[in-house]
Amino acid sequence: MAAVPPAPGETQGTLDPRRKTLAAAVAGILQEAGFLAFEKAALGTLTEMLQSLLREIGRSTRAYSELAYRTEPVGADVVMALVDMGITLEGLQMFRSRPNRVVITAPSQQVDLKQHNVLQVGDKKSHPAHIPDHLPPFPDTHTYCFSHTYKQPVTEYEAIREKAAAQKRDIERALTKFATKTRDTQNLFLTDDKEYLLVAVEPNPKAYLDALMPRDQVFEEEEEHHTKKKRRIVTEESDPGQEKDKLNESQEGELDNPYLRPVKMPRKGKAKK
Amino acid sequence: MDQSGQQQGVGAAGNQVSRSAGLALTDFLMQLEEYNPTIPDAVTAYYLNSSGFDTADGRLVRLISLAAQKFVSDIANDALQHCKMRGAQQSSSKIKGKDKRFTLTMEDLTPVLAEYGITVKKPHYYI
Repeated sequence: MAAVPPAPGETQGTLDPRRKTLAAAVAGILQEAGFLAFEKAALGTLTEMLQSLLREIGRSTRAYSELAYRTEPVGADVVMALVDMGITLEGLQMFRSRPNRVVITAPSQQVDLKQHNVLQVGDKKSHPAHIPDHLPPFPDTHTYCFSHTYKQPVTEYEAIREKAAAQKRDIERALTKFATKTRDTQNLFLTDDKEYLLVAVEPNPKAYLDALMPRDQVFEEEEEHHTKKKRRIVTEESDPGQEKDKLNESQEGELDNPYLRPVKMPRKGKAKK
Repeated sequence: MDQSGQQQGVGAAGNQVSRSAGLALTDFLMQLEEYNPTIPDAVTAYYLNSSGFDTADGRLVRLISLAAQKFVSDIANDALQHCKMRGAQQSSSKIKGKDKRFTLTMEDLTPVLAEYGITVKKPHYYI
């Protein structure tokens, strides 16, 4: 009889779908025989037996057919192989026509190959005449063919005007929103809405200075003005000598390096008090 | 000539046997076309291909799967008889409702397989 592996006590992790199908078929046969439950080890044994039986029948059938100088196995070869293993044909007829053909393991393998189409982005060129078809197809054209990256600019006058107007409106709206969130606001109506807010205007006491002294960029000069004024007021009240020197030094330091901010000293009024 | 005559006689007798077997086989193969064995054809064909058996005729594949199925089914029947014998010995116990539920265990399977010439040894404990 066919040799069986010595200790098929455990069913290994059946990842092979064919193995699983064989196990299901064996379970079906057992159910037909009348068993309602089985041990895992027993099922594993029978599955292993069935697999090696199939392989052995195939092997010896092939051997018999080759013995007869043929390459294709014939029914007679199968019969010889079965007889060689001790399985007779007479019982097969009866077995086939037995009434309790209840269990038929239907699950045949189905392979899903649908994933390819999802990832396809571009179109693929077909093979030119000199390339046979069994070779893999070309990749997408955008992966290896050069094409310009700019789009043709829109030259229609209406479209351009419309785009410019829309952009201007969006900029204005965004800026006003930002201003309402960062600066002081005044409400047009008495209700406490967030709509219809007006950006408050900071009153400038010396408006003529802006006209007489135009400047290109606005740094923190406004703050400097305020802080300097405050410091001067404070220092004149207290000791004028030392702190004026310090102020002068700090001002000179600022003049040297435009990237330095003025130092913000803590309020000395509170500390002294 | 005598030898040839004898050969022919033997051959005729042999031909009769083989003819009947051949007829039965061809009939059987014709009947197999409608029959669906429990083992799917694709699985059987795969295992046969792995050992070199390649045929365009699907009936041979079905014949082989039927033969294998019968083999396993014989073993299962013998094991069932073992189980029933064991159940009959213990029928004096109160648990009778379980007798209808037969479970295939290694204890039943091992002697059956030994009759068929297959030795199965299960480890008693796992290390």
